[in-house]
This record gives sequence, C-alpha cells and structure tokens, in this order.
Amino acid sequence: MSSAFIPLLLDSLASAALIFFAAVGLTLVFSVLKVLNVAHGSLYSIGGYLAASLSLFVASRGLNPYFSFVALLLSAALVAAVLGPLLEATLIRWVCGKSEAVQILATFGLFLILEDLQRIIFGVQSYYEDTPMRLMGTTTLGGVVYLNYQLVLIGVALAVIFGLRFLIRHTRLGRLMAAVVADREMAQSIGINTDRIFLLAFSLGVFLAALGGALSTPTSGIAPGLGADTMVLAFAVAAIGGLGQIEGAALASLIVGVARVTAVYVAPEFDAVAPYAAMLVVLLVRPYGLLGTMKIRKV
Amino acid sequence: MRFQTAAASLLGLAVLPILMPWLEFVLTLAIAKGFAALGVAVLLRAGLISIGHAMFFAASAYGVAFLSRAGVADFALAMLASVLLAASLGVIVGTFLVRYRAIFFAMLNLAVSMVFYALCSKLYGLTGGTDGMAVPIPTVFGVSLPDPAFKSLLYYFSLILMVVVGFALHHYLNSPLGQALSAVHSNEIRLEYLGVPVWAVLLIAYAASAGLAGMGGAIAGFAVGRVVPDFAFWTASGHLILIAVLGGIGGVPGAFIGAVFLELLHSAAVSVTDAWNLIVGAALILVIVFLPSGFYGLMKQEKAPSL
Amino acid sequence: MVNVTGGLASVAFAVAVGLAAACSAQEKPGSLNFGIFTFTSGAAAAYGMPGKNAADLMIDRINAKGGIAGVPLKATYVDEAQGAQGVIAEYRRLAADPNNQVMIAALSSANCLALAPIAEQLQIPTVGWNCDTHQLLADGKGKYVFRPNGNTVPEFVAYAIYLLQRNPGAKSVAIINPDYAFGHDGAVIFKAALKALKPDIQIVAELYPKLGSPNYQTEISRLTTTRPDVVFSNLWGADLENFVRQAEPRGLFRSSQVILALGETVLQRVDLPDGVIVGVLGDGWWMSPDARANPAAADFSRAYKDRFGEYPVFPSLKMANSLIYIQAAYEAAMRRNGGKWPSRPELADAMKGSRVATLTGTTVTRADNDGVVDQIVGVTARSSGQPGVTISDMVRYRGDELMPKAGTDPIAWISTLTPEFASSLPKPGSYK
Repeated sequence: MSSAFIPLLLDSLASAALIFFAAVGLTLVFSVLKVLNVAHGSLYSIGGYLAASLSLFVASRGLNPYFSFVALLLSAALVAAVLGPLLEATLIRWVCGKSEAVQILATFGLFLILEDLQRIIFGVQSYYEDTPMRLMGTTTLGGVVYLNYQLVLIGVALAVIFGLRFLIRHTRLGRLMAAVVADREMAQSIGINTDRIFLLAFSLGVFLAALGGALSTPTSGIAPGLGADTMVLAFAVAAIGGLGQIEGAALASLIVGVARVTAVYVAPEFDAVAPYAAMLVVLLVRPYGLLGTMKIRKV
Repeated sequence: MRFQTAAASLLGLAVLPILMPWLEFVLTLAIAKGFAALGVAVLLRAGLISIGHAMFFAASAYGVAFLSRAGVADFALAMLASVLLAASLGVIVGTFLVRYRAIFFAMLNLAVSMVFYALCSKLYGLTGGTDGMAVPIPTVFGVSLPDPAFKSLLYYFSLILMVVVGFALHHYLNSPLGQALSAVHSNEIRLEYLGVPVWAVLLIAYAASAGLAGMGGAIAGFAVGRVVPDFAFWTASGHLILIAVLGGIGGVPGAFIGAVFLELLHSAAVSVTDAWNLIVGAALILVIVFLPSGFYGLMKQEKAPSL
Repeated sequence: MVNVTGGLASVAFAVAVGLAAACSAQEKPGSLNFGIFTFTSGAAAAYGMPGKNAADLMIDRINAKGGIAGVPLKATYVDEAQGAQGVIAEYRRLAADPNNQVMIAALSSANCLALAPIAEQLQIPTVGWNCDTHQLLADGKGKYVFRPNGNTVPEFVAYAIYLLQRNPGAKSVAIINPDYAFGHDGAVIFKAALKALKPDIQIVAELYPKLGSPNYQTEISRLTTTRPDVVFSNLWGADLENFVRQAEPRGLFRSSQVILALGETVLQRVDLPDGVIVGVLGDGWWMSPDARANPAAADFSRAYKDRFGEYPVFPSLKMANSLIYIQAAYEAAMRRNGGKWPSRPELADAMKGSRVATLTGTTVTRADNDGVVDQIVGVTARSSGQPGVTISDMVRYRGDELMPKAGTDPIAWISTLTPEFASSLPKPGSYK
C-alpha cells in the first residue's frame, strides 16, 4: 500500500482537477443568479464535443498540431459566447427569482433539449482526439507513467481557482458581482445594471463548463450520456462545497477525487458510490455544504 | 360532465389494449409511472421538489425481485410487501430529509438516490449490477398464469388500483393533513404558530409519496420482467417530476393524464422521429411558462394549484 | 379527452382489423420482415454499427439473389442503447405484427437475458447474434432462443490456454473488464481456467469500470502499481478504444503482456503495439486462412470495404453468419414441409440440431440451442505484405473441445481441465 502512495496522491489530484472544472461553473452561476442550472452538464459535454471536432479538423487539415491547444480554448470561448447570452437572455432570466421547483424543472427541460441537439449535431459515435496529450509526453513518478497533460491540468485548475478569486475580490466586475450577491435590490437601486452582471456571470459559468469538457477530451472519450453523468457529479461537488462557494467547490473536488481514487485502489466495487456517499455524509451533517452559509428554511 | 369525462377515459383505457394488444405494455408502464408521478406531485404541493423519487420506484421493483428470489411467488403478497418496503424506506429517509426545504431538499434526495443507484449498479453479486434482476411471473392466489394472461391481469389490476388509490388520495389531499401541505408551501411559519406539527405533516406526505412510487415500481417490475439500476438514475427522477407537472399537480388525475399522454405520444413519435427528448423538453418549458397548472388545470373550471 | 380517446380507439380498431387480415398463415408473404437489435448509438455503437452495416450488406446480397425462396428480406433496426424497458417494448411491438417472423436479438447480454423469456412466451424464433453469456441457455429448456455464434466459456478458456502456451512463465494477472454480466462472466471463466491449468498463478487486481466509461486514467495507474505479468481485458466498443488510447502512452503494453479479448475490433482504428494477444470470440476473422479460401467470404469483405470504408470486424461476421443461419433454417424448414412457407414453430424446429456452413467456418446447433464454433486466437503483428496491424502466430481450437457437454455446469467443467489437456491442443502458429 505504501508503495502506491504517490500514484494514489497524483491520481486523486488529476481526478480532482477534472471534477473541479465540471462543478465550478455551476456553483459560480448559483452564487450570483441563485439559479441551479440542471443543464450545466450539457454545456460541459458540448464543450467537449466542439473541442474534439475542432481538434480533429486541425488534424485533418494537416495544420500545426499545436493548434489543437488553441482549439481547446477556442471551443470553450465559442460555446460561452453563443450559448451564454442566448440562454441567459431567454430561459435563465425568466426563471430567476422563481421557486426552486420551477428553476429545476425549466432547466431540466433545457437539459433534455440540449442532449438531443448534441445527438443530432455530433452524432452518436464516441469522439476521441488526443493530439495535445501526445504532444506533451510523459513523466514517470512513483513507478507509474503519467501523462504530462494530466499533471499540467492540476496546475490549470489551481490557476482557475486563483483567477476567480482575483476576479471576484480585485476587479470592478467582481465587486459589482459581490454587490449583487449581497443584496440584489440594493444593488439595483444604486444604479448597478444587474441584467448585465447576470449575463456576464452566467456566460462565465458556461465558459468554465465548456472549458472543463474541452480540457477533458485529450485524456477521455466523449459520447452521449456524458452530460447526464457530469451533471450529477457537478451537483455532488457543488453541494459538498456549499452552493455558491468557489473555494468550497475546490475542496469538494479534492474530497470526491480522493474518495473515488482510493476506492479504485482499495475497494474498486465502491468507486461509483464514493462521490455520492461523500455528498450524503456531508449534507446530513452540514446541509449547506462545507463552506456554505445559508438559511435552510423559508421564513 | 367531469364524471362523464373520467368514465369515458377509463373505458377508453380499458378497451384500447384489446384493440391494440402491444399497447397493453405501454399503458401498464404509463400507469406505473403515473403512480410515482402522483407521489412526486403530493410533495410538490408542499413546494418540495425531489430529484430522487425514482429510488423508491426502483427499491420496490428490487423488492419484488428479491422476494421472488427468496421464494415468495404470490402476486398480492409481493405487491403489498414491496409497497410497504418503499413506504418504510420513505419513513427512514424522510425522517432525515423533511427538515430541509427548497434546493437542499432537492439535493439531499438526489444524493440518497444516487447512492442507491451506484450501489445497485456496483454490487454485482447481490443485485446483478447493471444487468439487473429478473422479476419472474408470480402466482395469483395460488394459480400460475401464462405470460399473456398475467400481463392482462396486471394491467386491469393497475387500472382498478388507479381508481381506488386515486379516490383515497383525493380524500387525503382534501383532509386537513393534505390541506396543510399547501399551507407549508405558502406560509410555513404561520402553520407552526397555529400548532400544526409541520414535521409530522411532511413525514406522512413523504411516506405516502414513497409508497405511491413503490406501487408504480412494483407494477413496472412485473410488467418489464426485469429491474435495472437505471430505474433509479437521476434522469428517471427528473422524468417523474416532468410527468407530474405536465399533467398538473392540482388533482389526482393529473399525474395519470401526464403519464398516459406521454407514453402514448412516445409510442407514436418513436417511429417518426428520434428527437423525442427535444420534444418533451420543449413541451415541459412551454407548460411551465404558459400552463403552470398542467393539462389537468386546463380541464378544471376553478383555479387549480400550481407550482 | 373524450374525443381524443374515441379517435385513438377508432384508429386502433382499423389497425387491428388490418393486422387480422394480414394474418392468414402459411402463404408466402410479400417480404420476410424481422427485427434486428443492436447498438446504433452511445459508446457501444462502435461495436454495434459494424453489426448493423454487415446486416445491411448481407440483406442486399441475399435480396440480389432473389431473397429467400423468392421472398425479399426487410429488417427493422432497434437501438439497444435505449435500455431494457424500451428494448422489451419494441420487441413486443414487432412480435405483435405477424409479418415479423424471426428476430435477431441482441448485442448486449443484458438485453438477451431480458428478451429470452419473452421470446419463449411469444414463441418467436430469436437468434442471439452476439449473446455470448453462458447464462442465456443454461437451463437447456428453450425452444425459440438460438445462439449460433458460441458462448463465453470456450471464448475465454481459449485465451487462458493460449496465454499459457505462449507465456508459460506468467505468474501474476490483473483483470479490467466492464461492469456487467459479460465482464464478470469473462473474469470468472478466465480465472477458473487459469486456476485449473496453472494453480500457482496469482490474480493481483480486478477492476470493473462502468460500461461506457470514457476515462480509465486512474484504473491504468492502479494496474501499473500491481506490476502484473499479464493484463486481461474484455472491454469492447468505444470503451476498448478509449482504454487502448489511454494505456498505450502510459506504457502498460510495454510493462505487461496484454490480452484484449475483443482486440480485433479496434485493429483498424487504433495503433495497437505488436505482441498483444487478441482474438475474435469465435472463428469470425475476415483474414483467417479459412475465410480467405472461401470466395463468398472474400467477396463479402471486399464489398464491405467498398461500402463502409473499413474491412469487416468480427461483430460484422457474427451478424453476417446469423443471417446465413436464418437463411439456412428457412430453406431446411421448406424442404421439410414440402415447400410451403414455414410457420414460426417450423422455423425454430429447423434451427435445432442444424449444421450450417458460414462465411468463416461451421456452426453446429446442439440440443440446448447453443452453437459450437471454433476459436481463433493470435497476437498482433505488423507484416511486410499487409498495411496496418494484423494477427499472426494464430491457433484455431476446435469448438467442441472447449465446450462442456449440454447441461453440465460450465465452471465445474472448467475446473476439471488439466495442463495435459492444454498441451494436447494445437499450438500457437499452427493455424496458417
């Protein structure tokens, strides 16, 4: 067991990084808009599909393979630029302020629509495009060969955490968001354009989801059903960390990553149970999540 | 007029499978899902949304499978035991969960159901993993029937059960216990000042809704002949809410109208288009925006409760 | 509501009358209709689509020669990715139409197990084109469910024997199989065979990732840390492609002897390194010496490549052979009843005990409806004459030698195998 400690740690971190990308956008959108977007997982898989398609296009045109890195970022930006404003200005703005039941149902409808649209646009076959992973080579650590891409992704996740912290605490947009989060009506009355803040925050959430999907393509396949699986995992992470807590999502990703990887190493039959068992335990003790602070009953 | 409509619909449901035998399976499943959606609708009246009720549906179907593995082959006994199982599971889970409201209630239900789903799919030795478990044809009062006869019996039994349970639930919803649910939704604190034990009101509702989902699950298990973990996946729970809202949560018939409508439409659409989820998703959004009291609300004269 | 129900009822009545009219038996129908169940979407489609493609091609080829006794074939495809509930509903819907005489169902063992009792109840001859699980016909009582393509017992015993013939010194084995009946059954059979043939061999890890998992990075690390001599896997479809693409850069193929039981299906799509033990779960390799010697098989492979851009993989041949099996059953049934169009029971009778020459060998249907086919195993290699990766060092084990007698418990039978038995079988490289 001790000989497997370094691999266990590295796998947990690599796994946590991927999980973090799936969840952070969901929690960001919730913190600003107070909307739980059930279609978030679909945005993740759309990012994945688009990234794989663009990378395959790069490869088929014989372009410089390093363009595939550009393709990953570009696809996330494209999804955010198109779907962010489109969804926010229509359905999401309508459900803002409605009851949770309405929010969950309306975005569940959106989830069903997006899942079918993906099937129609991208087909039903599995996509796989690993040029970025192959370009970066491998490193042997603890007797196990790791992809440098996996290791770099851990760094990218950390960069996103600190980037979001900086954005929220040290930029004008971040302070405006904080004002809206603290008191929506007050923010409006002192002249903050809340519609614009909502649109930007939602699009940023879409970008993070699509980026997660895009960054996962070099080490993982994209196939129908990914959106549904990602959604429930993102829920678990967001709930464990506390809905709306960015740092909470990071901590929760680590917990879920460690739980899942340890299960694979020690008791593989529980690998799929681990994330949800962790969610259940945390929520029963702290229903508002590890870092969450929210009232739990309507007064 | 309302009585005539209901009677005509029931007659239609009773006759349809005689004319088109393959519809019998579709309609049995529709009624099974209708029971579960009705359970979800009961909680929705209190403003509580559960993204996890498919767990009770699946638990009861697994219950039937385990019972028959243990040698209990009687239909009535299996139905009763599995519904009780689902209701007891509802009491246990509900004891912890009815303290929570809104998003937390939804999330906790999701967490519990996903633990259940993951266990069912991973414990291969016990549950057959993702292959699921067979639900053999039971004996009915000691008589073993051939498959087609049992499937017809199951259908008409479900139809009768639908009427009986429907009336019982109608009474429950109109009793003070049931009325208190809507009051939780509108103003819970006032209810507590009036001395109504909200916790108990909700626990009873939760257990009833779990039992209803279990009733549907047992019927579905018998109809399909197999139970698989996908019965409990979160999207299945989502579909139950969808059925409830599409049909309308204002009255007992809503859930069944939603279920029968959806299943018939699905059977018709499946040969024409494969964009079924797209159609249902769009319909759901349209209903929420323009018709918050569902199809049932359309038929009812007075204002029906809505989301 | 009244109107809607009334309208539906009258439509239903009209349809029912129409069906009754079509039901007069034993006359040659305008077309021979049947359902084909396979995965046309999701991760399993990578395996299911070659099956569907082969069915399309084979049906066109049979119809071009006048169909079966002048009756053209017409298939309705059902996507198994919709899950057991939907698959059962579709099966019942198709079975209710008397024009549908026979079914080819299904790909997934789970769906085969769910459909088998229904096939028996509704008395529809059903050919399991890919239903390898040995649980399917275990009770030996079925009258309507047939499996001409063999089962998991000979398939995985063959790998254990080939492994020990090729690497007699192997001491530790890790297993990574999909988490459902096929994966677990495969592991049980492979482990039982190893235990019987080389009792000191150790199983150091067993992983069962969910069917359809896109990501195996953690599993690959776990496999590497146990440093096994051998890694065995019966992953398939997109799962197998994902696993190979993720494991190859991480050195798993260099540090262990890898066995990919369904490896032949990805030879044309991913760059498998040399020396991986692969096979075709039966005899259905389009490039096998027998297939190359058979003009019909060579012709089929060429036509397949022209139409779909890839050569057929073994699921394609399992499907093509299933259609040949059905054609043979029709012809036999009509010989028996004096040239009349056979009823469903007559068709099933004709399948029982039949011996059919397929594109790649022979399938013999036993009394328990299980088919006996040979098993081809080999290793990946690049040869100068062929583009891409091919299979060399092949062996062709006789099907009946690797199969327990009908009615015996397969695992108990496997435990009676001995190293002497294994050494009496043909050696790697003997089939060329």
